[in-house]
Amino acid sequence: MLKKISYAVGALALLFGLWGVYVRLFEGEQSANYGSYIGWGLWVAMYLFLAGLAAGAYMLAAFEYLFNVPQFKGTGKTMLWAALVTLPAGLASIGMDLGHIDRIWKVYLQPNFNSFLALMVWGYTIFLILIALSLYFAFKSPEKAAMKVVMWIGFVTSILVAGGVGFLLGGNAARLYWHVGLLPVQFPVFAIASGAGLMLLIVGWFMSNLEEKQRSDLLWTLAIVTIATSVAKLYFLVADYTQSLYGGVTDNLIAVNYVLNGPHAFMFWGVQIVLGLLIPVIVLAQPKLAKNGFIAGLMGLFLLIGYAAARILIVVPGQVAEMMPGQAEAFVGPKLTLAYTPSLMEWSVTSAVFGFAILGILIGMDYLLNRMPRSTEVKK
Amino acid sequence: MTEANLLQKYASEVFAGLVAPVAELGISAAPAADALAKEDVLVRMERELKRALEKPASERRWVMVIDLRRCIGCHACTVACVAENKLPPGVVYRPVMTEEVGTYPNVTMKFLPRPCMQCEKSPCTEVCPVTATYHDEEGVVVVDYEQCIGCRACMAACPYGARTFDFGYTYTEQLPVFDGAIVGGENAAGYEHASQEYGEAWKREGRHESPVGNVRKCHFCLHRIKDGILPACTTTCIGRATYFGDANDPDSLVTELINKPNVIRLKEELGTEPRVYYIV
Repeated sequence: MLKKISYAVGALALLFGLWGVYVRLFEGEQSANYGSYIGWGLWVAMYLFLAGLAAGAYMLAAFEYLFNVPQFKGTGKTMLWAALVTLPAGLASIGMDLGHIDRIWKVYLQPNFNSFLALMVWGYTIFLILIALSLYFAFKSPEKAAMKVVMWIGFVTSILVAGGVGFLLGGNAARLYWHVGLLPVQFPVFAIASGAGLMLLIVGWFMSNLEEKQRSDLLWTLAIVTIATSVAKLYFLVADYTQSLYGGVTDNLIAVNYVLNGPHAFMFWGVQIVLGLLIPVIVLAQPKLAKNGFIAGLMGLFLLIGYAAARILIVVPGQVAEMMPGQAEAFVGPKLTLAYTPSLMEWSVTSAVFGFAILGILIGMDYLLNRMPRSTEVKK
Repeated sequence: MTEANLLQKYASEVFAGLVAPVAELGISAAPAADALAKEDVLVRMERELKRALEKPASERRWVMVIDLRRCIGCHACTVACVAENKLPPGVVYRPVMTEEVGTYPNVTMKFLPRPCMQCEKSPCTEVCPVTATYHDEEGVVVVDYEQCIGCRACMAACPYGARTFDFGYTYTEQLPVFDGAIVGGENAAGYEHASQEYGEAWKREGRHESPVGNVRKCHFCLHRIKDGILPACTTTCIGRATYFGDANDPDSLVTELINKPNVIRLKEELGTEPRVYYIV
């Protein structure tokens, strides 16, 4: 039943999203609400979220193939597949954000390697190839040395690309809200945390084929991972915000106040903190509830929504402070504003991206992974 | 009647009781006459510009100096820039920031014209993934519209907010269309003149052709400079508050100005080494 509902949600999301994709590709970017002062919006945030999710999913696949954690046995291929779907979804999101997507090839053939953005494009491309190779070896010969080598390279790459995204923002000295040393450190933690959320959802709702004891042990392990990473996330958040508020630098104060008291404060308090952190931590701390597939999956969904909100609350507030006093009123014109709420077209495109990801994961699990022998079966 | 007599007459008769007579202030008309006889700084700067153009490009160092004491916030430079570069709605290269300072009755206005700072250590060029924005031979930060992928990383990196994105707006697109009678959005390319930036004609044809979808910025009017004409903002400044020239020329006006103690650059602490100086 849950799977049918998920298929329906994915299909509807994709259907609604096709309109936005059409408008974006054929009519341009005028119906987006990002502009010249807040130049990066929902699509960039969702790229960070989905790329982080792919890195996290890969890290969790390593629990089976590299670290041989017994509870994770039989889940590696699913997580690799999830990474293989969510990474292109993230890249599609950032691709739609480009003014000239038709020139993306230039990043490969005429790159500026001093640019961290170019390095990230290359890094994610290599990571995508590594995910595909890992999945290939997972089917073909999971016990062989080649698989271990690829997985180790992929595991290190997943940490680097996740941290790299943090640096992409953090290296930006013009934006004080981003320019904190903690940012590249936080992102790999966020990645594994969101990966755990995705795994709770997949295992809790869709992997009833796992042996009952292993499944409940796995859910409990994921619950512990979730609680630990959520506490770490909360610590980062409190450290970051108190430091900014105590330091009192104007641009930082504007950004942090925007998050805590701004027009989208509900996104922080309601979605990121209560829905995405407190509820899952409280619920998953109860072993009985954490081992219940439906509840664990639901908490995984809440975690993912919370992490997606967190990404928006990193990207947008970093741009709300004027770069020069009086900038917002100096010249009047379309897109010259410091206010940002994603437009319907932006939500529509994001809907297409998520519809693709949901359907991609489900179809892969049902028609690709289930047709192949599982690694445990190969072992037999 | 001489100018001196006229000045004295009006100052003492028309504004009697409001202002002191010219004579009492010790003002004569002679300095005004001298000032009129003086060479306009634009003439000097244009002469210096031509002198600089005789040198190899790599030996020039274009800088802009803005005297904030002379700026009256008329926005003529902003408008001139828009007109010169045919900037579409939503794209601006040289806004003038206005700030109200003080509390009543001690209130005043501060004006800060903000072109691109043409930083020598520019964060915007570093982050560009395809080297679409870079320093040209003369050190001016330029954008190659045909190379730019429109990722807006440079916009995020610029500490001065000096870059705006071209979303493809035109001034005529909202107008109604009747057969053969009036222009509408689809005819914008014909009616809205092509920008001549970087020495090329950039027509606004459709929503996907550069410079639509690109980040745009001030380039010191390089297309004018190469013909020996000062940037549009400089020639239009009615208060003569904007100066432009070659800082590698020891005899140029800008070299004189930037070597004074009352000169600042914006956000110096970021180490960007701007080529725009402000006299305060």
